[in-house]
Amino acid sequence: MNIAVLLKQVPDTTAKITISNGKVDENNVSKWSMSPYDEYALESGLQLKEVTGGSLIAITCGPERTKKMLTDAAAVGADKLIHISEDKVLDSTQVQKLLAATVEKSGAEVVLCGKQAADTNSGSTGPGVAEILNAVCVSMVSEVSINENNFISTRPSNSGAEKVSSNGISVFTFDKGISELRRPNVRGIMMAKKKTIETIKPEEIGLEIENSDRITLQSQNSPPEKEPGQIFEGVENIPEIVSKLRNEANVI
Amino acid sequence: MGYEALDFYEVDSLLSDEERMVRDMVRDWVDKEVIPNIENACREGVFPDEWRAALGEMGVLGAPLKGYDCPGLSYTAYGVICRELERGDSGLRSFASVQGSLAMYPIWDFGSEEQKNHYLPKMTSGEWIGCFGLTEPDYGSNPGDMITRAEEMDDHYLLNGAKMWITNGTIADLAVVWAKLNGVIRGFIVEKNDPGFSAPEMKGKHSLKASVTSELVFQDCKIPKDRILPGVKGLRGPFSCLNNARFGISWGAVGAAQSCFHSAKDYAMSRIQFDHPIASYQLVQNKLAWMLREITKAQLLAYHLGKMKDVGEWIPEHISLAKMNNVDVALEIARVARDIHGANGILDEYPVMRHMANLESVKTYEGTHDIHNLILGRHITGIQSFTREI
Repeated sequence: MNIAVLLKQVPDTTAKITISNGKVDENNVSKWSMSPYDEYALESGLQLKEVTGGSLIAITCGPERTKKMLTDAAAVGADKLIHISEDKVLDSTQVQKLLAATVEKSGAEVVLCGKQAADTNSGSTGPGVAEILNAVCVSMVSEVSINENNFISTRPSNSGAEKVSSNGISVFTFDKGISELRRPNVRGIMMAKKKTIETIKPEEIGLEIENSDRITLQSQNSPPEKEPGQIFEGVENIPEIVSKLRNEANVI
Repeated sequence: MGYEALDFYEVDSLLSDEERMVRDMVRDWVDKEVIPNIENACREGVFPDEWRAALGEMGVLGAPLKGYDCPGLSYTAYGVICRELERGDSGLRSFASVQGSLAMYPIWDFGSEEQKNHYLPKMTSGEWIGCFGLTEPDYGSNPGDMITRAEEMDDHYLLNGAKMWITNGTIADLAVVWAKLNGVIRGFIVEKNDPGFSAPEMKGKHSLKASVTSELVFQDCKIPKDRILPGVKGLRGPFSCLNNARFGISWGAVGAAQSCFHSAKDYAMSRIQFDHPIASYQLVQNKLAWMLREITKAQLLAYHLGKMKDVGEWIPEHISLAKMNNVDVALEIARVARDIHGANGILDEYPVMRHMANLESVKTYEGTHDIHNLILGRHITGIQSFTREI
């Protein structure tokens, strides 16, 4: 079985983000990493591959730097690496079209991805790709297994968990999964180095990507600075503190 | 904020993609598994067995050795691994140095085909731990006068003597022991259950507390004839091993220094005295600038030495300089970092005092600081000054 995993490279959660001219300055991001929810999807994909003996296809869409993430995926066991190369600034729908066409071309029967990316948090990739492929979509899963011809996915909730059975081409979007992405090892890294990355241009899969005029990112800004705390000393301040707690903080 | 290694001259940009991936793998593991547990390991005085297993699974043991399931990485990659491990703790790096350079390497270079096939795959996987017996209670810098003897009997060798300061000794499955056979130093593989062999642990260390240090005692220890290393005679055997281990230490010391710098910088930025962060005062900035300067120089020494090792154009004196300099500056950086942390620097909440205490050992083991100076002195003048007639 061919298993496609959609991966996005995002600024590492520990990296400092700077804004210049109203946009996140990508050149100033010290460390790029695989989006954490995508890591759960990749791990689940590797486990499915081990059970079914299939082939795992790692797919990403983005600039040149994203190739490193594909090599990282190969180091833990991805068999085939596809980089969709498009320099234009794309909106979510355009990315979904490119990913869906690539998945279709790869012949994958199951598609795994994170429920949302750690940078944009839009959460639209999985459902969008499923819509275009006319596939089943189960979101926010923690694990996916296979039982005869059905995929069994688990979706935890506060009050328990539900298991969803699906068949045919299915897209699963991952919340925090049950197992963390495995660590690579030296052998995997040496094999990954030899693995070629297939680069696909949109026109090669029959898609013409226009500059997006439907959605534009207007501006980005840092979270507001937290106001400094107030310090009071001495019993004579108690009435003022009580008044502030009651009227400003609304906690008593 | 996560760990960002100081790399002022972007020396790591000179690494290959593969070397960088190995770096990230080890760094990530150290962040997740070592740093949260190191203080506890030190307090209990144990080397966590999970670390042995993880090093084996990552496939970094015996990094530069080729064949026999060994990783076959570059020497530079081996250096990077040592640096990242020692950023966690010198005891952890010591474990890997001893396993790879001191126990696996002599078998790989001087062992018989049978010995290599038998031991190396299980050592690179971490299943078997090795140690290295050269130093004796009365012979440290002067191993050539060692007392431990081997006698050739009908169907076995008989070993008598004692080794001291042996990293991994008590937990080791096998020891590569150097002993005199008819007056000539030879290497022998001793297994933990060989009759007449024991490896009591040395307790009470204030340094390398998460590393096991032992004595090796041989009392009419009988070992089969096929456990002698056939490929080497004399001090060249143990010294070849030490060259590789010292090379790793020259990188490892950079990791310990980077950890101390990282902690000192963070602390100085957040510690307020006289209404301002202490990082805003000139005396503190001067210390941080000095640390950055010495770390950058140490990185360049280590990197260039790695390239020399990889092309095979090096002499032992090159390694002496890097080991001696990098450990020396790392120790001084740890001391200055402790100073910047003020009283907090003595707490195990910060890594600096632990690195400082560890580096005191690292300065002494694998050729003391002074002995490396004498090696360089002999290289410059052609006159050895280790010994003289009195």
